[in-house]
Amino acid sequence: MTIKQCLKDNHNRLLKQWFQATINTYPAQSAKILGKDVDRFDNPVGAVTRETLEDILHLLASDYTADTLEKALDPVIRIRAVQAFSAAEAVSFIFALKDVGETIMDSAFAREFDRMVDQVVLAGFNRLMKCREDIFLLKATESKRRIHAAFERAGLVQELKEEDLLGSKKS
Amino acid sequence: MADELTPDELLDKIDYGAPSGDWMDTTKSVQIRPGMYCYAAKAESVETLGLPNARPWNPIEEDWKLPDNWQQILHEGIKERLERFRTFKIFMDVCVRCGACADKCHFFLGTGDPKNMPVLRAELLRSVYRNDFTTAGKILQKIPGGQRLAGARPLTIDVLKEMWYYFFQCTECRRCSVFCPYGIDTAEITIMARELFNLIGLNIDWIATPVSNCYQTGNHLGIQPHAFKDMLEFFVEDLEDITGVDCTPNFQKKGADILFITPSGDVFADPGTYTCQGYLILFKYLKDKYGLDVTWSTYASEGGNFGFFTSHETMKRLNAKMYAEAKRLGVKWILGGECGHMWRVIHQYMDTMNGPADFLEVPVNPITGTRFDNAASTKMVHITEFTADLIKHGKLELDKGRNANRIMTFHDSCNTSRGMGLLDEPRYVIKNVCDNFYEMPPNTIRENTFCCGSGSGLNAGENMELRMAGALPRATALKHVHEKYGVNTLGTICAIDRAALSTLCEYWVPEVEVAGIHELVGNALILPGEKERTEDLRMEPLPGCEEEE
Repeated sequence: MTIKQCLKDNHNRLLKQWFQATINTYPAQSAKILGKDVDRFDNPVGAVTRETLEDILHLLASDYTADTLEKALDPVIRIRAVQAFSAAEAVSFIFALKDVGETIMDSAFAREFDRMVDQVVLAGFNRLMKCREDIFLLKATESKRRIHAAFERAGLVQELKEEDLLGSKKS
Repeated sequence: MADELTPDELLDKIDYGAPSGDWMDTTKSVQIRPGMYCYAAKAESVETLGLPNARPWNPIEEDWKLPDNWQQILHEGIKERLERFRTFKIFMDVCVRCGACADKCHFFLGTGDPKNMPVLRAELLRSVYRNDFTTAGKILQKIPGGQRLAGARPLTIDVLKEMWYYFFQCTECRRCSVFCPYGIDTAEITIMARELFNLIGLNIDWIATPVSNCYQTGNHLGIQPHAFKDMLEFFVEDLEDITGVDCTPNFQKKGADILFITPSGDVFADPGTYTCQGYLILFKYLKDKYGLDVTWSTYASEGGNFGFFTSHETMKRLNAKMYAEAKRLGVKWILGGECGHMWRVIHQYMDTMNGPADFLEVPVNPITGTRFDNAASTKMVHITEFTADLIKHGKLELDKGRNANRIMTFHDSCNTSRGMGLLDEPRYVIKNVCDNFYEMPPNTIRENTFCCGSGSGLNAGENMELRMAGALPRATALKHVHEKYGVNTLGTICAIDRAALSTLCEYWVPEVEVAGIHELVGNALILPGEKERTEDLRMEPLPGCEEEE
């Protein structure tokens, strides 16, 4: 048996336990609600978390690259990037897969499985950075887009173009 | 009935363990986290309004520079409001903590922070109420452990900071109230809490400065009359390029039929500016076809009312301008633009604050004869009701093809849907100006709509994490219709929404654009004498007019 086959065989157990471990990163009172399997629009965090973890397990059981892992992680990382988590806490749920795997996966695959999870963790860090950059960019550009653009069109403010700035430097 | 649980199975599900921590213990939980709070109100803005304790302060510093007797001020403030507002008293007493509201709040669903469950957020204030104002609370606090039994706690500085943090994580959207079996309106609890904060100078700047601007110069952005006029004239130039027709509006025209007031965001902030151009086209059309005389005002140049997020008195001061101007100009009634909270103020508060506006007429659409009895007392009609009425009577000539590139869905704004029941008119207008319309899932629209996450003065930049977390439930539904039906445009009738949802889309569903309903009306409406249009109001090619690459 290969590790991929082992992942496929244990998909449901892995998903169930990994999902619970991920939801348990929220405060206990919230985890009770976010862990419920209800309509996805009534519980987006729970639904998106479950779907994303499932996608990751499918990827690990088939072919994956750093890019496909990162893309698949996006929905859940995008949520955790705006919640009250430190960077470490935001991606900690991926490490939980190691503990889950230890109890479920064949011990012969332990080392290989850990390496796989390490790759998911690295992809997670990349995506977290990307989401945080998105947030900072939104902060930086929002007011400009909303107000400055309108003023500029009306000729109420005049923004210097790059060449103007370079020109003034020269003079 | 095999699915039914046996008593033993049911008992197995009960968690008998002690809670891991006490929610009333603030020492561990009050962490005012950057990204989640808004900057403190500027002293000058607080001063302009004559509100108490104007001084520079910073929420993340230890010392909030409160008056020495702040506890006494708040105690008296709560007492006064309990006597003055029956709702507040009932909402403090009647909650049985059933939890029906717990998972209905977009901020709870998005942040996962239990103190954003409406019940627990309200409990932050209710615990103080129980301690200081109820007989049971007063008796029990004399017994060891009694305070905890009563769910009561004294008003300490940590309790105050916690309340401040969480009552500025509520957008007063009222979704929770839809699900409350007692009809508790948590928004009103937030409104009271914010009023109390203002008694000791604890407002946020994104509310206080717009209020101060509006009070002094007439609109939230502090744009002076000549600049307001310049912007509209600039739109007129753009519209002439697009349509070949001069859509110059009236300003302060005495004796006009209708005074039009819209949020200043429509005049100054994209993409609201395109909605504003839609209004100009509509008024030009109505003038040319039916002789209807609509005037704008640079004095009443703000439909929104951030006073609503400050105190009842402040809301009243700002609201009064609309009616003063309508009286001065001698118009028949007021037409209001696409705005959210403006309509809750008009629909639920105006009449008892500054009304009755008996110097105005009950609004009647002179073109169709429709009498707007829903506005019989306030004399103010929402523009989507007005336009829907015109369309229903076949009074507008529309070319839907000009919006053929738009695959629409509609976001019900909290205040217009839950605050005044405006649900079908915007949809009716959309369907008449655009062929492609798909609803988001039923538990996310109409009365059940999810907030944009930035309402009630929380649309600042510094609290972006809070806003994006609060936007998650709306974004999840939007993403669904984008993926399922190819929706590329989110229609809305609120100025805050037009700004906030644009940012929401950028983070969560970047393929979707936000548009006001009257932007689509402006595109579709065929003006008398117009040239063949090749561009929409965004000056992008109309469907079929794209240049071949």
